[in-house]
Amino acid sequence: MTLEKYLASLKEGIINLDFGVVVKAATEAMAAGVDPNAAINEGMVAGMAVVGDKFEKGEYFLSELVVAAEVMKEGMAVVKPYLKGSSAPGLGKVVMATVEGDHHDLGKNIVTTLLRVQGFEVVDLGIDVPTDKIIGAVKEHQPAIVGMSALLTLTMVKMGEVIEALKSASLREKVKVIIGGTPVTTEFADSIGADHRAANALEGVKKCVAWVASPERRQ
Amino acid sequence: MTEMTRRERILAASRGERADKLPFFHWWRHSQVGWAERECRNRGMGMAWARPSYTVELRDVDVVEQPVMVEGVKVLRRTYNTPVGAIYLDEKREPGTGEWHGMRSWRDVSPWQTARLVKQPEDYEVLKFIVEHTEYTADYFPLEQAKDWLGEDGCVVDHHPHSPMQTLMIDWIGSEGGRFFIHHAKYPDLVEDLYRAISKSREPMYEIAARSPADVIWCGDNIDGVLVNPRLFERYFMPEYEKMAKPIHGQGKLFASHMDGRVNVLKDLIAQTPLDIIEGLHPPPMGDLPIGEALSLWKDKVIWVGFPGSIYILGPEATKKHTLELLREVVPGDRLTIAMSTENLVSNENLRVVTSVLENADLPLTGEKIDRIEKSLG
Ligand code: B12
Repeated sequence: MTLEKYLASLKEGIINLDFGVVVKAATEAMAAGVDPNAAINEGMVAGMAVVGDKFEKGEYFLSELVVAAEVMKEGMAVVKPYLKGSSAPGLGKVVMATVEGDHHDLGKNIVTTLLRVQGFEVVDLGIDVPTDKIIGAVKEHQPAIVGMSALLTLTMVKMGEVIEALKSASLREKVKVIIGGTPVTTEFADSIGADHRAANALEGVKKCVAWVASPERRQ
Repeated sequence: MTEMTRRERILAASRGERADKLPFFHWWRHSQVGWAERECRNRGMGMAWARPSYTVELRDVDVVEQPVMVEGVKVLRRTYNTPVGAIYLDEKREPGTGEWHGMRSWRDVSPWQTARLVKQPEDYEVLKFIVEHTEYTADYFPLEQAKDWLGEDGCVVDHHPHSPMQTLMIDWIGSEGGRFFIHHAKYPDLVEDLYRAISKSREPMYEIAARSPADVIWCGDNIDGVLVNPRLFERYFMPEYEKMAKPIHGQGKLFASHMDGRVNVLKDLIAQTPLDIIEGLHPPPMGDLPIGEALSLWKDKVIWVGFPGSIYILGPEATKKHTLELLREVVPGDRLTIAMSTENLVSNENLRVVTSVLENADLPLTGEKIDRIEKSLG
């Protein structure tokens, strides 16, 4: 197979959500000496971009986005050992969490996956994450962005608590804060002093990319 | 027209007939007992109670529950031992669980599973065994008792679990990390085989429901179009609703499904279902389909609105404004009832403010009537 063929298989395999095709193409491509960065970026990431487009156009649903990301994860598992530290420069770190008392994780996981696909290093703290744990992670990892998800009106107030705690720890100026989840409105985001409320995962990820690409990038 | 009772109001609207006033009620499972609740009920708020018409028995399955520690967290582990293998789930509970409304905590949160029954492909076979050894027996006592207690104060509905594919997505496989979607893509045969087994095993349950003393048979399906996308809805939910509807309609009963998520993408498909009542529909900003639009799209259906928690959190003024706007949107107000909440507890002040708007919502609603209500509230 030619290089183009391997890359096309990887890309199409992602678009068609085909675990078998992607794992096979990745295995064969690595055995044939294909550059792992090309396999990732021109193969799988290019496929994910098409999946993202289809999602935005309403041709694909969230489930397809989730499955495509999983297919990519399996492909990545094959390619990663060949990377030997030669990966492209990342976009920076993001600390992500579903706030304390809240166990909804679908939205957060999708955002996490898409951020990783874009090249962010994401520290995913999981669900039901207490405020001090988020602050601790910000201190430890020094991310450019903190992302929070809440799906309950009971728990969304915790996002405000985190922002206040960031201020108290003199960390607020060092990070951008992006929040999301069903009950979270722009008014609410403004009221607690978040930088952005994401309407959906793709829009939120675009915002994150814009932040780190902009001159006021704070890292 | 003599004044209708709260029960008559809910049922008239649910049958598509005109009630004397816009029916509004509180679900018992989210309701406090106290002065505000009493005041609102005296001012026209009804009550709704959901209870089952059947009991469930598992044959040749030994169920053991024990508390265990998982990563420093105490959970309740329920293990199902069967001749073809064992599976377990872990459940986390908040304080108050089991001490007041069923399995709800003081904050009104049900237990949530931290480990699902399906963890690996081998687990499907065990679950199928359990499903095929599940027996449903009619037991109308809980419904009869609630009907006797409530009388004309409200409505008792026959409560059914998630429909088969939703049982898999929400309860058994779970959607955390997209697990359901991944299993559905990777092991379609296992998922579909189990789906068919559940659907088959539920048939007696639908017959029992149809003959129950309840007027409304309610499937607590928690439909959200982001999770249950149109492809899944068409393939696995619509056929099951058809199947359920046959015996239910055969006995002249109403069939409802709980659709509390964002259902805009499903609106055309929902129109094609045999459902009589779309229950728990949340208007924006919680849901994404305005009630007025839903009413005009679903001409043969009735909507039981779930009042959005994202408005309550903004306080009584915003709640009053939203309630008045809702009235203006649904003029003349037919084919509609409003539930104080289908998800959360409601504060005393919000309960009273919604009541103060709705207690005078005589049907048919007109713009002038709503203006008068607004004026009377100051
Ligand atoms: C699925 C679901 C569940 C599942 C969760 C499974 C899981 N692993 O996450 C289960 C069944 C466990 C569940 C439990 C409960 N739920 Co629930 N649940 C839902 C439902 C139907 C869909 C949520 C969902 O996952 N959507 C799909 C995802 C992808 O969408 P999303 O989270 O909004 O994320 C998107 C965007 O918002 C954005 N986003 C989200 N977060 C972030 C963060 C960042 C940084 C960015 C950039 C973007 C972003 O990106 C995503 C993709 O575009 C909603 C209905 C609704 N209208 O939302 C109710 C809902 C959220 N649940 C509700 C309730 C009440 C509960 C319970 C309390 C019920 C109970 N009786 O116990 C429990 C709470 C348990 C707990 N402690 O958290 C209510 C909340 C109401 C309120 N006033 O707070 C809702 C709104 C239902 C309703 N109609 O009222 N639930």
